[in-house]
Amino acid sequence: MNWNFVPLALGEIISPTTAAYALAAIGLAVHFGFTGLLNFGQAGFMALGGYAFAVTVVMFDGPVWLGVLMVVAVSVVFALILGVPTLRLRADYLSIVTIAAAEIVRLSVKTPEFSDVTGGSEGINGSGRAFNDATNPLPDGRWGLGPLTYSQDDWWYRIIGWALVVLACLVVWLLTRSPWGRVIRGIREDEDAVRSLGKNVYSYKMQALIIGGVFGGLGGALFVLPRSLQPDNYGTQMTFFLYTILLLGGAATVFGPVLGAILFWVVLSLSDGLLSLAVNQHWIPIDSTQQGPIRFILVGVALMLLVIFRPQGLLGRKKESMFSA
Amino acid sequence: MDIVSEMLHRSRLLTLGLGGLIASLVAIVGVAAPAVADEPIDPGEAEQTIQVWIRSNADKAGIPDVAVTVSGAGHEYEATSGADGKAIVGLADPGDYTVTVDESTIPTALGRPNALSRTVTVGQGNKNVPANFLVDPSFTPGAGPTSAPSPDAGAATGDSPATGDADDTGAGPPAAGTDWGSLLTQKVVTGVIFGLLIALAAIGLSLIYGTTGLNNFAHGELVTFGGLMTFSFGNLIGLPSWLAIIIAVLLGGIFGWVQDAAIWRPLRRRGIRLIPLMIVTIGLSLAVRYLFAFIWGPDRMNLATDPKPFLVIGPVSLRFTDVMGAIIAIVVLLLVAFVLMRTQIGRAMRAVSDNRALAAASGINVERVIRVVWIGGAALAALAGVYIAYYQGLRWDTGASILLLIFAAVTLGGLGTAFGALVGSVVIGVFMNILTLWIPENLKLVGALVVMILILLLRPQGILGRRERIG
Repeated sequence: MNWNFVPLALGEIISPTTAAYALAAIGLAVHFGFTGLLNFGQAGFMALGGYAFAVTVVMFDGPVWLGVLMVVAVSVVFALILGVPTLRLRADYLSIVTIAAAEIVRLSVKTPEFSDVTGGSEGINGSGRAFNDATNPLPDGRWGLGPLTYSQDDWWYRIIGWALVVLACLVVWLLTRSPWGRVIRGIREDEDAVRSLGKNVYSYKMQALIIGGVFGGLGGALFVLPRSLQPDNYGTQMTFFLYTILLLGGAATVFGPVLGAILFWVVLSLSDGLLSLAVNQHWIPIDSTQQGPIRFILVGVALMLLVIFRPQGLLGRKKESMFSA
Repeated sequence: MDIVSEMLHRSRLLTLGLGGLIASLVAIVGVAAPAVADEPIDPGEAEQTIQVWIRSNADKAGIPDVAVTVSGAGHEYEATSGADGKAIVGLADPGDYTVTVDESTIPTALGRPNALSRTVTVGQGNKNVPANFLVDPSFTPGAGPTSAPSPDAGAATGDSPATGDADDTGAGPPAAGTDWGSLLTQKVVTGVIFGLLIALAAIGLSLIYGTTGLNNFAHGELVTFGGLMTFSFGNLIGLPSWLAIIIAVLLGGIFGWVQDAAIWRPLRRRGIRLIPLMIVTIGLSLAVRYLFAFIWGPDRMNLATDPKPFLVIGPVSLRFTDVMGAIIAIVVLLLVAFVLMRTQIGRAMRAVSDNRALAAASGINVERVIRVVWIGGAALAALAGVYIAYYQGLRWDTGASILLLIFAAVTLGGLGTAFGALVGSVVIGVFMNILTLWIPENLKLVGALVVMILILLLRPQGILGRRERIG
C-alpha cells in the first residue's frame, strides 16, 4: 500500500498550481464577490494569459518582461471586449457572453489553422524553462523535506507564484477599503441606488472587470510555468473549479480565495489519492477509467451545497452574500 | 440488468487492454530511439505510467506492433503496442512527456494517425495517463478529430473529440454537385435541420427562463440524458428504436420533474436569488455530466443509422434519420405552438412569463405552471438528445457541447420568448452551416458565438424580444 499521496497532498499547499488558482480566484472575487458580476469565463482570461505568455516567450523568444506585459495587455483587451456589450444589460447576459467567450478562446487556439502561433491542439511546451533561464537566481540543487523536495526551478515557481498572490491580496485589500471599493460593493447590492448617487455604474463595473481579468491572466501565465500549455485545460470546468474555490473560502473576502484554493487542492489531491488506493486495492468495484470523473462529480456537488447552505463561505459574513438579482 | 453487464464487460475489456498495452510499449523501447532510451520500467512497479492506445478509427480495434517513444523529464522510453493496440510505459519521474508514434510501423492500409505525437502531463503517482491515437485513411496528423486528453480531466476525457464541436453536424454524404449554388443549398438544408434540433432544446430553456427567470446551465445534461436513454434501451437492452425513443422522452420528462421537485422548487421556497441559483446550475451540470461519464464511459456511442441517402432532391441528399428527425421536430414544434397559443396551460405559461406576480394574482397556480414547464422542457430536450445521438453520435458531454449553441439561439431570438427561440435556432443553424463556406469547419461554433455577442451589442433584446425585458 502506498500512502505517499498524503505528503504530496500537503505539498499542494504551496504548489504553483494552487497559487495560480488562488490568483485567478482573487480576480473572480473582484468580479463576483465584490461587484456582483457573474463572470463564467474566468478560464478564458486564464487561457489568454497563458497563451500571451507562452507565445511571447516560447514561440517568439521574447523577453519575460514583455511576456508579462502582453499578459496584462491581452487581459485588459479581453475584459473590454466582454464588458462593452454586456455590462449595461442584466447579470445573466454577462454570464452567457463570458462562458461563450471562454469557449471561443479555447476553440480558436486549438484549431489547426493557427497552430503556427498557438501550437494547435498540442499546445505549447517550455514556458517554464524560458522563464527560469531568464529569471531564476537560485543556485542549482534540490531542497526540501522527504517527498516535498523540489528543484531550484520548482522553488522559483513557488516563490514567484506566492509573491504574486500576496501582492494581489494587498491590492484587493487596499481597493476594497477605498471609496472605490464601497462603490462596487454598493453596485453588487443595489445598482440603482448607486446610480442615483450619481456614480457611473457602467464605468465602475468595467474597471472591476479589467482588474479581476488581469489577475486571471496572471494566474493563467503562472499556471503554465510548471506544465505544458494545453488548450483543453481551459474548458468550462476550470471556471467551475474557480467558483468552488471562491465560494469555499468566501466570495466577498480578501483571503477567502487563497484559503479556498489551498483547501480545494489539498482535499482534491487527498481524495484522488485515496480513490486510487481504493481502486488499486480493489476495495471499491470501479476501474481506473471510472476514477477520473469522480473528482468532478464531487466538485459539482460541493459547489451546489456551498451555494445553498453556506453562500458566504468559510471566511465571509452572511450579510455580504446578498445579491441584487 | 443488461446495462450492468455491459458495463462490467466494458471495464473488464479495459483492464485486459491495459496489460497488453504495457507489454507492447515495453517491447517497442528497443527499436525506436537506440541512442538515449532509458531502461524500461515494469509498469506494475512504476510510480507513474502512461497508457498509449493506438486504435483504428473505423472499428475501434487496437493496432498491434506500433513503435512508441515516450520522452520527457530527462528520460526517454520506447515500447510497442500489444495485440490490443495498447502499450503501458512505466515512468521514473512525473512531468510532461511527449508520446510519439512511429508512423512507419502502422500498416499503411489502415491509414494515418490523427496526431504523430501528444504531450501528456503526468503527476506524481498518476497511473495509466491516457495518450490515445486513432488511425484512419482520412486523417492528417495534427488535424484529426481527437484532441489530446486534458490532464485535469483525468481519465474522463478518454479518446473522443473534446466537445464534439468539430465536423459532426453535416447531414448525409456530400452530394455530387460541387458548384457554389448547390453547395449553398446543401448547407441551408442541413442548417435548417440542425436548427430544428437546437430549437427542440432551446424552447425548453427559453420557457424555463421565462417562467422562473433562471438561466439553466445544466440544460445540456437534459439533452445528453435523452440520447443516453435511447442508447441504453435501444442498443444495450435491444428494444426497437421507436420504443426506445418514446421511453427516452418520457424518462426525460420525469427527469425534469424530479429536478424541479428535488432541487429548484425547494430553492425557490428558500428564496435563493437568481445569481446564486445560476451557480447551482453550473455545479449540477458538472456533477451530472461526469456522472454520465462514470456510468457510460468516456467513449463515443453510435446509434445504428442507415448511411445510405434516403431522399435526394437536386444537390441535397439526406439520410432516413435526417428526414424523419426533421418531420418529427416540425410536428412537435407545431404541437408546442398549439399548446402555447390555444390551451389553458399554454396561456398560463405565457402569462407567468409575462408577469409572474400579476399571473399569480389573477388566480394562476404559478408553481404548477413551472412544474409543467420543467417536465415539458426536459422532455423536449431529451427528444433533441435522441435526435443529436442519431445525427452525430453520442458522448457523455454531447449536451454540454451544444449548450452554448442553444444559448446563442435563445439569446438571438430573445430570452424568454418561445417563438424567438425557434427563430433563433433556425437562424443559428443555417448561419453556422453557411459560415463553413468561408471559415474552417472546426471554427463554425466560434462563428456562431461571435455573432451572438455582436447581436447583443446591436439588439440585446433579440429578434423577437421586447426592449423592456433586458433592463
